[in-house]
Amino acid sequence: MKPFSYVRPADAGAAIQAAAAGGARFLAGGTTLIDLMRLEVMSPTALVDLGRLPLAAIERHGDGLRIGAMARNTDVAHHALVAERYPLLAQALLAGASQQVRNMATVGGNLLQRTRCPYFRDLAVPCNKRAPGSGCSALEGYTRSHAILGTSASCIATHPSDMCVALAALDAVVHTRRAGRERAIPFAELHTLPGDHPEIEHVLEQGELITHVELPPSPFAAHARYVKVRDRAAFAFALVSAAVGLDVADGRIRAARIALGGVATRPWRSVEAEQVLVGQAPGRAVFERAAAAALVDPKPRRDNAFKVALAQRTIVRALELAWGTP
Amino acid sequence: MRATRMPIAVGMVAPSFILHGDARPLASSECRGRPWVLAFARRWTPEADAGPIRAQLRGLGAILFVVSDTGVWSFRPDDDVELSAAPSKRLRAELAELAERFGVDAGDDGVFVIDGDGIVRFAQAPSEQLAQTLADALDAAGRELLGLPPRPGITRRDWAVMSLVAGFGLVLFHGCRPPGPERPAPAPIAANAGSEIDIVLRVNGQDRRLRIDARVSLLDALRERLALTGTRKGCDHGQCGACTVLSDGRAVNACLTLAVAAEGTEITTIEGLARGEQLHPVQAEFITHDAFQCGYCTSGQILSAVALLHEGRAKTDDEVRQQMSGNLCRCGAYPNIIAAIQAARKDVAS
Repeated sequence: MKPFSYVRPADAGAAIQAAAAGGARFLAGGTTLIDLMRLEVMSPTALVDLGRLPLAAIERHGDGLRIGAMARNTDVAHHALVAERYPLLAQALLAGASQQVRNMATVGGNLLQRTRCPYFRDLAVPCNKRAPGSGCSALEGYTRSHAILGTSASCIATHPSDMCVALAALDAVVHTRRAGRERAIPFAELHTLPGDHPEIEHVLEQGELITHVELPPSPFAAHARYVKVRDRAAFAFALVSAAVGLDVADGRIRAARIALGGVATRPWRSVEAEQVLVGQAPGRAVFERAAAAALVDPKPRRDNAFKVALAQRTIVRALELAWGTP
Repeated sequence: MRATRMPIAVGMVAPSFILHGDARPLASSECRGRPWVLAFARRWTPEADAGPIRAQLRGLGAILFVVSDTGVWSFRPDDDVELSAAPSKRLRAELAELAERFGVDAGDDGVFVIDGDGIVRFAQAPSEQLAQTLADALDAAGRELLGLPPRPGITRRDWAVMSLVAGFGLVLFHGCRPPGPERPAPAPIAANAGSEIDIVLRVNGQDRRLRIDARVSLLDALRERLALTGTRKGCDHGQCGACTVLSDGRAVNACLTLAVAAEGTEITTIEGLARGEQLHPVQAEFITHDAFQCGYCTSGQILSAVALLHEGRAKTDDEVRQQMSGNLCRCGAYPNIIAAIQAARKDVAS
């Protein structure tokens, strides 16, 4: 691990100030950052420790919910209001990582979780995300874990977060603060596609602090499901995951949400698939049509072509479980 | 008055609960970020001595729950709720489970004080004469928090409130959010790269002073600096769980924690579990059930299991497997590990 200066600020203002210089990073739960620093994949020159800032509250916000950026995954997943109003989020959080990691990981950190692409983590090989312009080792490498949506000629790494898939489906809004400015970023606008610059993963600027995530009132609590398909039943990243929600009235789908994980370079919401469902009576046939619409122009590679069919079947299964089909 | 079960002890994570009263459901998760007091006071009525205590606790932003034979009350800073004067069958069952999870036998009294991080700071099942009034019980809690000897005889209500309030001020605002008073947070730090930092780590109930490089993990600090080698280094990447310790009662990977960032939390390692010669029930059941072979992963397994049992959510074998999935065992002792955890459940208050 390379040396870094360590700052434990007294308040959020001091934290933002301390992180203003390039090379500084905020330290939240540390489950990604410390790991990548030990590998020297990331070598920040300064760490600004947010651990003691009062940013962990989980509170009602009108009919919605406001989750502090430093709220731990465990606390969010087991919060009574989350269980009652946003079961999709609780399911996604509990499908992720291990007891220990969920106790450490925070909402803010999880939003910016880095990819698990093995070539990103291996200093011995080229990676455009880690060393811009050096090339992508995955393109001709072993691609079982890689993305089929949102890829570019520079990068096919997947976004690994389970939580983000649920937040994409729940229309979350990410609130941030930076010197003299606060802003609210709709979830769909937080993460960027890799394009020619896979080293850029989100729209946040240097020293911009995520303060909280806001969830609007959700009509999907009664019919929501997160389904995660992985190589083992626990503590594994998704090959494919689907977060779905249905709002059904008078036998017709009034609104729907479909988001995918494990298959795309960022948390992937499919408005196309949602539109197929709206106005229809829930059922297997319409679920299958929606699933087909979700995979627009996929770019499978040698080892991950199975993800096209697997993603579609995972969507259908999640919709069936959400609707209550046995 | 308590049977063989391991009582709730100071430093443990308080059990979670949901109570379905006549008003809206009340969940322990709502208390997170605030201190709270849970009193099992079987003969208590709100007329007895609630006034000054409620006023003081409200001022502190703290929540008071009282379970008595005549009803269940939740006194909160924003709203006082009589959960139920005549508990339903469901609520009675929930209260019985609550008492059991706190290690209080049916008909007994007890007082528990929990800080804003959900950590038990005071736990006592008072003797019969002590529990004549709630004020007495709270006085005892406050005096113990302050490190004062028990007060002989009957307590005046204002004293009780005074000692509890002072006790709160000293230790209880752990993890609390504004506008309540801040816990005594570790001081701000700004250290240049390469320079060493003076910190105090609280490990197994003792303050340990260290001067360390910011890069040192909690795992290396425990093993190399504090000679607590029971905590193991396996993968050093948060994937194997051999380095699991408790931080404020919760299982965490010491390899992914910077020692400097652990300042201000209560760390418990495998060396801190036994009470003298008496093994923790999970340790004892690991031996009884032959739950290890080479032993390298065992301390991490045990600490994850302790956290699991105190939290009390995972109950079936499948749920336990899922919650223990962050601890790998290359010898494959998993069936015996599950058996040991399930056997220890009866002796660990959750």
